[in-house]
Amino acid sequence: MRYTAPVRDVVVIGGGVVGCAVAWRLSGTAARVTLIEAAHDLCEGASKGNTGIATSGGDCHPGTLELELVRRSSPGWEALCARLDTPFHRIGTLAVALTEEDERRLPELLRDAQDTGAAAEIVTGDQARGLEPLISEEARAALHFPDDGIIDSIRLTIGYAELAARNGVEVLRGAPVHSIERDGDRIVAVTAGDRWIATRSVVNAAGVEADTISRLAGGEQFRTWPRQGQYWLLDRELGGRFRKVVGGVPTPVTRGIYCVPTTNRSLLLGPTAVDREDRTDRAVDAETLDHVFDAAQRLVPSIAREYAIKTFASNRPASDPTYRIAVDAEVSNLVHAAGIRSTGVSSSPAVAEMVRGLLEGLGLPVGDQRPHAITELEPLPRLLGHPRPEQLFARDPRYGQVICACEQVTAAEIAAVHGMAVPPTSLEGVRKRTRATGGRCQGAFCLSGVSFLHSLHAGRRPPQIAVSEPEATLGIGAHDV
Amino acid sequence: MSDRPPVAIVGAGITGLACAHALRDVARVTVVDRVPVPGGVHGWEAAETRELAACGAQLRLGETAIRWDGLTLLAIGQDGPQQMGAAALVIATGARPLGRAELGIAGGRPAGIVAATVACHLAENGLLVGRRPLIVGGGDWAMRAVSELRAAGAERATLVCPDGLLRERPNDGAVHVREHDRVVSVAGTPRVRTATLASGETLGCDAVVLAHGVAALRNVDGAVWAGDRAVYAQPLADPATVAQARAAGAEAAAAVRSLIDREERP
Repeated sequence: MRYTAPVRDVVVIGGGVVGCAVAWRLSGTAARVTLIEAAHDLCEGASKGNTGIATSGGDCHPGTLELELVRRSSPGWEALCARLDTPFHRIGTLAVALTEEDERRLPELLRDAQDTGAAAEIVTGDQARGLEPLISEEARAALHFPDDGIIDSIRLTIGYAELAARNGVEVLRGAPVHSIERDGDRIVAVTAGDRWIATRSVVNAAGVEADTISRLAGGEQFRTWPRQGQYWLLDRELGGRFRKVVGGVPTPVTRGIYCVPTTNRSLLLGPTAVDREDRTDRAVDAETLDHVFDAAQRLVPSIAREYAIKTFASNRPASDPTYRIAVDAEVSNLVHAAGIRSTGVSSSPAVAEMVRGLLEGLGLPVGDQRPHAITELEPLPRLLGHPRPEQLFARDPRYGQVICACEQVTAAEIAAVHGMAVPPTSLEGVRKRTRATGGRCQGAFCLSGVSFLHSLHAGRRPPQIAVSEPEATLGIGAHDV
Repeated sequence: MSDRPPVAIVGAGITGLACAHALRDVARVTVVDRVPVPGGVHGWEAAETRELAACGAQLRLGETAIRWDGLTLLAIGQDGPQQMGAAALVIATGARPLGRAELGIAGGRPAGIVAATVACHLAENGLLVGRRPLIVGGGDWAMRAVSELRAAGAERATLVCPDGLLRERPNDGAVHVREHDRVVSVAGTPRVRTATLASGETLGCDAVVLAHGVAALRNVDGAVWAGDRAVYAQPLADPATVAQARAAGAEAAAAVRSLIDREERP
């Protein structure tokens, strides 16, 4: 067991978008903070498997905390993403009515949307096709949310954590929480991985495991469970032609399937929403995937299987109620940031500020500014789509070595992410930070090259490098010497 | 001679070189390849590589073509970015086996699902991806994967051949064959443990090597699908023999000629 000294002011449990945002926010204050994550890397749950929509709130319910936090976050995305080297584009969403029944529901949905304070308007079928020429001829009308954006949720999550780490937040990965020690109604220490960490407070941002953390702390009993979503990822040859996020008309039961152009120009189709029991299950099935594909194709007929490059599933943390952001009723220094089901990315800056406020109310030193705290990350230029590649080459000649040909990721970019405060420790970590192996050939061409570079930078022999979790090594067997 | 139009070819394998050879009298040809030697999968020592590489085309080796705007190809290499104007672009970048989504393999996302191209390359470098690999496919990539992985120390291997087009039955008691069957899903955490076949059978394995089908490598932005003066020269066969590669190169050259002729006509 290793002991962390001195005593922490705040231990943040959970390295998803919520926990990383909290760590980022606190890193600008005088508090001593440790961020802990059970998985081998940050951003391994819902934060890496979502649509990447930063909603402006038009689809949230009026009067909810969720809406309030989404609305507080929405105007600031351009400025925040510029500081966190995270791609963001405010392109807007069209909720497309394909049937008469859909069309009849639009005025009511518009009134709901207007109650949220988000910008919204009804457009005709022709106007909708003017805004997004790819949508179906069958579109009769649409509800337009011009202030919705698309964001790279992985770069956002890792950007939050990177900036936090550079401001002195200790980031522990591969550190599942084993126990939480109490003295009376207060937590005094957390045991995670091989560490015993004395602390003055704990933030529970453990996503689908938030109920487990509360139980370990002896706090309120509530239940979180995985709501599984299945997705297709399509080639940027198609995604690059999209101008809008395209969805159907939400029903009382579901928001339906979206076609979402990503910030790296690929296209996501999804998600489904099925409550599950198994928290580790991320299996896709052919029937569900067919359903997603067909629904997307009805909205945008040019969506075709030949563009498909990947299918995947992820679990967002469902709970009842959602948005449990409060000090625990039993444990006086435990702050929950739990049950943030599907708008975690969209509300993360305001959630972080709210958590900071709760901690301040507990008397923790999160009101003062840390002197010399940095507030932005230096952007790491990417070759893909760069307007002046010769400038990159002058910066680092390794921009001349394209390793992943589909996503045009260079040796310079792979080297740079390994030099970060929270570097990748697996091939999946390299993919999340650079997109290497994430393109249309899914690594068939470049996985060996990426592996050897990661091996070099991580100082581990190629057979021992991890694909994802440490025990999932790339190599196995006889030559493992 | 100097008024011949410039043509850029991406890929210095037999296909690209055969195309360059066929265009030698009608165009000023530049062949770009990311690898510093010509020959592609057939190697630089092959007689055909040497014969075709001597056709007078300019070879820009060790440069990766990344962008095409219909008039100019952007490549990047040790000397930085290079722009080259071209009346036509030929993509002869070779092929890969189909990926997991393309094969419709459902299930979780365990480690150990790798393309045959990668599994073979790693095996050649002494890195074994699985002791009991399951190999999907029956063509050249599958045969290579079986022999390379066995040579690198795999204890046993199972070939699952989806279309019944098994090239040959491996003469190796440790290699089992399932013909006319395909993998429908995989399971395991964090590494793959089982694969379920369409026949309903579930097989234990510690790697699934994808070696079935052929897809073109599409890496040049602006020419990912053919169009805008871009021609694909891809012998979509597994394996592409030298003859097939030459034929694909010649066919692409004919397409380039008609493109140039059309533009030169008033």
